[in-house]
Amino acid sequence: MKGAELKPADLKGLLRGLLEKGVVDCLVMPHRAGKTVSYMLVKDPDKIESPESAIFAPSFVVNAANLVKGWTIKEKVGIVAKPCEIRAAIELIKLKQMDNESVLLIAVDCSGAYTNQVYTENYADIGDQADSAKMKALEGKGVTIRDACAICANKLADVGDIIIARAAGENLVAAGLTDMGVDALTTLELSLEDKDLERTAEKEKIAGDAKAKLDALPQMGSLDALEEFLHDCIVCKNCRDMCPVCYCKECFFEQPLGKPTGGDLLNLAELRGAIGLPPGQLFYHLTRVYHVSTTCVGCGACEDACPKDIPLTRFYPVITQKVQDIFEYVPGKDVEEPLPFTAYEEEELEDKLRD
Amino acid sequence: MGEEAKGDFEPKIVGFTCNWCTYAAADLAGTSRKKYPPNSRIIRLMCSGRLDPMFVLKVLLNGADGVFFSGCHPGECHYIKGNFYARRRIAALRTILKEFGLDERFKSYWISASEGEKFANTMKSQAEEVKKLGPSPLRGKIL
Repeated sequence: MKGAELKPADLKGLLRGLLEKGVVDCLVMPHRAGKTVSYMLVKDPDKIESPESAIFAPSFVVNAANLVKGWTIKEKVGIVAKPCEIRAAIELIKLKQMDNESVLLIAVDCSGAYTNQVYTENYADIGDQADSAKMKALEGKGVTIRDACAICANKLADVGDIIIARAAGENLVAAGLTDMGVDALTTLELSLEDKDLERTAEKEKIAGDAKAKLDALPQMGSLDALEEFLHDCIVCKNCRDMCPVCYCKECFFEQPLGKPTGGDLLNLAELRGAIGLPPGQLFYHLTRVYHVSTTCVGCGACEDACPKDIPLTRFYPVITQKVQDIFEYVPGKDVEEPLPFTAYEEEELEDKLRD
Repeated sequence: MGEEAKGDFEPKIVGFTCNWCTYAAADLAGTSRKKYPPNSRIIRLMCSGRLDPMFVLKVLLNGADGVFFSGCHPGECHYIKGNFYARRRIAALRTILKEFGLDERFKSYWISASEGEKFANTMKSQAEEVKKLGPSPLRGKIL
């Protein structure tokens, strides 16, 4: 792939250049506010001050793809975000919630992230970015990354139009993965040369660590365990609202059948003797896990969003991973690959229907 | 509920069948006077592709002891490819149900319009299997 080496200080010029040269009309990117980072939508290049202090920050606020979901505008939006967020954006393109031609996806290497609360509390130790040695030391002190990040095998940027990878020392490499990405970097007058950013060995190590963490997560395994797990759920549906790939305009669970009240509930109670309140915890989560089963990118936004602190990472990413395995589908990997539920093979899956 | 001894209760089974193959097979089983247990309640869909996995979830959560889905054999769908899509959805749903041990209560079959005998036998064997499993654990729960 074609790329150029950069110093951290060059990032500002690169991102400003995208706006100044009209490659994109606006940028959605992280910005720093004291000890924390959050996203901003920028039009004025002068507002981009020190991006290197924010875009590598190991803090997860919200999935950036969720912020631009359903934007049907002609203007071109550049999105600078972590790989899981870019993968979610690619799924949204496939789900026709965004237009491939009107987004420029820029994925940044991730090292795993803390929840934004943990990040802010421990900013003095974590700093603007963290490497594995620093994270290991913090883990010893009980400051750990989010479960979703611990089990993520795809932390290195390898999707989207442009990737910004961390190379040896402080150096960075910006490389174009698609024609749109290469064109953008060419317009910025960067001297592009062939770069090998496969990083196979590094990826294997990350995948191995992730697998070990996944195996160490508590398993549910039974209906009783699931009932207990979801018992505190208040069906606020915040996990749905923060999920980048849950996109229905009219959610079933906002309609009378999915959200029964009054007389309807009384009828259900009559039928079953007693029903739990608020109604439909299991029905809601089982339906939602099916709905996102092929598109869940495992970003863990659902867990962060839960006001009852239910560790939803043990539910959503863990289960959807198993569904994705049977279709050999990796969400967000390739914008051309059809969604599993929109395609079929004439002979397949018979064993999965019956075993 | 939930207290009947295993094997000594009459299970409630809900079935989703397509109009063109399995429902016709059920018809044929009737007209050719094949006997099968009366445990299944059939809901006819125009195509197995109409089966929204939520139907299955809802039926299970409301306490059905068994659920089945049956359509035309793959490649013989009246609408050409409805059952191919259905197969992918069902495979995904079963993978999820398996996590909680509910997959054994959810069966899928391909039964064509000429297979009245197969339909009757399938109903018989499923009723026996579900009887062995006992009442659904979801029946007595407060959900």
